[in-house]
Amino acid sequence: MQALDIRPCQLDPKTQALRAEVREFVAEALKDYPAHERAKNWNGADPQFSRKLGERGWLGMTWPKRYGGHERSALERYVVLEELLAAGAPVNAHWIAERQSGPLLMKFSPDVLAPRLMPAIARGELLFCIGMSEPNVGSDLASVQTRAVQTEGGWIVNGSKVWTTGAHRCHYMVTLLRTGPKDASNRHAGLSQLLIDMHATGVTVRPIYNMLGEHDFNEVFLDDVFVPDDFVIGQPGDGWKQVGAELALERSGPERYLSSTQLYLEMLDAADPQNARHSVSLGRVAARYAVLRQMSLGVAGMLARGDNPATPAALVKDQGALLEQSLPDLAHDLFGGTREPGSPLDQVMRYLTQTAPSFSLRGGTREILRGIIARGLGLR
Amino acid sequence: MNQATHYQAMDDSAPSELQSIIADSVERLFAEQISPQLLAHFDAGHRATALWQQVVEQGLPGALMAEEAGGSAASWLEASPVLRAVGYWSAPLPLSETMLASLLLARAGLEVPDEPITLIQTGRLGDLTLTADGQLHGRAFNVPWARSSQWAVVADGTGHVALVDLRQATVSLEAGSNFAGEERDSLHFVNARAHAIGHLQIADVQEPVWLFGALIRACMLVGALESSLDKAVNYANERAQFGKAIGKFQAVQQQLAQMAGAIGAARMATQVALRSACEAQQAEAGARSTLAFDVAVAKICAGEAATLATSVAHQVHGAIGFTHEHTLHFTTRRLWSWRDEFGSDSQWAEVLGQAAIAAGGKGFWAGLTQRQF
Repeated sequence: MQALDIRPCQLDPKTQALRAEVREFVAEALKDYPAHERAKNWNGADPQFSRKLGERGWLGMTWPKRYGGHERSALERYVVLEELLAAGAPVNAHWIAERQSGPLLMKFSPDVLAPRLMPAIARGELLFCIGMSEPNVGSDLASVQTRAVQTEGGWIVNGSKVWTTGAHRCHYMVTLLRTGPKDASNRHAGLSQLLIDMHATGVTVRPIYNMLGEHDFNEVFLDDVFVPDDFVIGQPGDGWKQVGAELALERSGPERYLSSTQLYLEMLDAADPQNARHSVSLGRVAARYAVLRQMSLGVAGMLARGDNPATPAALVKDQGALLEQSLPDLAHDLFGGTREPGSPLDQVMRYLTQTAPSFSLRGGTREILRGIIARGLGLR
Repeated sequence: MNQATHYQAMDDSAPSELQSIIADSVERLFAEQISPQLLAHFDAGHRATALWQQVVEQGLPGALMAEEAGGSAASWLEASPVLRAVGYWSAPLPLSETMLASLLLARAGLEVPDEPITLIQTGRLGDLTLTADGQLHGRAFNVPWARSSQWAVVADGTGHVALVDLRQATVSLEAGSNFAGEERDSLHFVNARAHAIGHLQIADVQEPVWLFGALIRACMLVGALESSLDKAVNYANERAQFGKAIGKFQAVQQQLAQMAGAIGAARMATQVALRSACEAQQAEAGARSTLAFDVAVAKICAGEAATLATSVAHQVHGAIGFTHEHTLHFTTRRLWSWRDEFGSDSQWAEVLGQAAIAAGGKGFWAGLTQRQF
């Protein structure tokens, strides 16, 4: 059970001023941004907004200056993130690049790719997507079929990726693929990550529309795509290790419990304070928000101290998705059949009801996360 | 890995030396002394008087009091291992109540009896009133350990704290108990007199017994939750069916993982509330504090976790967990009891929900980050 322990993390006073600054910026920049757009939360993309954040120095905040970063603390970055997400700011354009790809390059390609690409990520100009899943590969990531074969000066890649969020607007895709033969004794051997230029010859992106008819994710086909040696991230064969480190980072951030926030805000405005059913239900949710914020922040504190909180991170994501997914059902419970058609509540509910099923799938399914937690409990 | 190591955050969450000492001594005592036989003996109607003597010898009832008052001057965080241990080991003692009562008396400058002391908040659970000159009139229900306690601390909503002798003729008692067989008695005061009355204002706390009472129950719930998880995980690893431990089945793992998640949330919320209590304790009278918010969150999370955990722990244990012989029920019955006491999760949710609705969509996030709507 020790493995599940998260200790509270206190934000130091200097983050207060930063919080106020971000809040003021967001209030001004998004003053005409409507509720149904805010509902998209970190699924909403606006490359212009991403550049504005870059100008403010709020991307790559923790990175060294030589990589275009601002050498601020992880907790300062945390405060910026939670303020942006709570307001439903459109952060998706730069999201993957800033959260995952930059740190990945810094760790595994510190001399080649990091200095070359990270400054543009920190400016909000260079956008990344992630090619992990494939048509027959979801949770069982080690069985990817996409393959790279060595050629003069680089690699030739063939295969396909699926559920690739933002592939249609990104510049690069971090691609997990097989560079070595399958090894029955070690499933994780022979995997590598290559950086693929989305404009290279042989790359085809096809939209996949979600149940709302919206276009966030894609299929990506790779036909004899040439990738220069420079664009191998770290050493060939290190792919699995890199993916593990990356996924742990993306499981406990504030985005893992704030996705449905706009719906909660609309419910608060529509609620009747005299109605006990409203106040009890919405009060339970308020408590969930409060504790998940502390848990997410606690894991951020552990990461900042250099711990490896893989199990607590899985716990935050599992609990966070439960909160996020409970809100459309609660809206149905409290306001189903009575809300005004076309009202902000109605619009936001329409969007989140139909996107919430993805919240316990993306970034590790609920079942995978609970398997990780079960291991932490000593059951596996 | 996106954090360069030279920007390390301060680890301000490590337990103090005093907290470690308290944790070690209470764990050792309860682990040695609280056996299934002792708990069964208690269920059969016998008080754990020897165990009470031992906690008194260790100075635990006075842990939260200042040294001048004869206490250990532990902060809420430092004393919290005692509360957790009461929950974890199902200690059948009026210990948490006496700790809180002693703190309130000492802070109000009143004498602190060297015996079990119970707690009453006027305006809650009955119609008891306390006048400024120390008159008590009316009823109080579900008073914890009243039969075992000669004394009660009665607090009202305006800063009065009274020490009341429950053995005076103007107080009558009707015995009752919670699901765990712990005394929860009804008291009837007919123009009774307080032994002493004082004034106490901790930060902006309006109902000190109710609010700190919810905090101590949340801590005890967390201890009991951890016990139920330990028992369920151990059982799942020991019990074999279809040729393997039942804990190897994903259906069982998934349930225990969800239970662990709810317990993790309860533990975090309680830790935050304990820190908040430490700050409130240091604050000037009347100063704004986050305590009401944090305690509401803690009691809601701990109560909700109790609901899930009791269900999962029993499902994992199968029929044996339903027997009196197995020890699971000592924990389960306390979880079912304590989630009710000093405000159920639903009662606290109503309070928090009303505040959140008043803050509205515009004010919610600001309220959440400053932990006060």
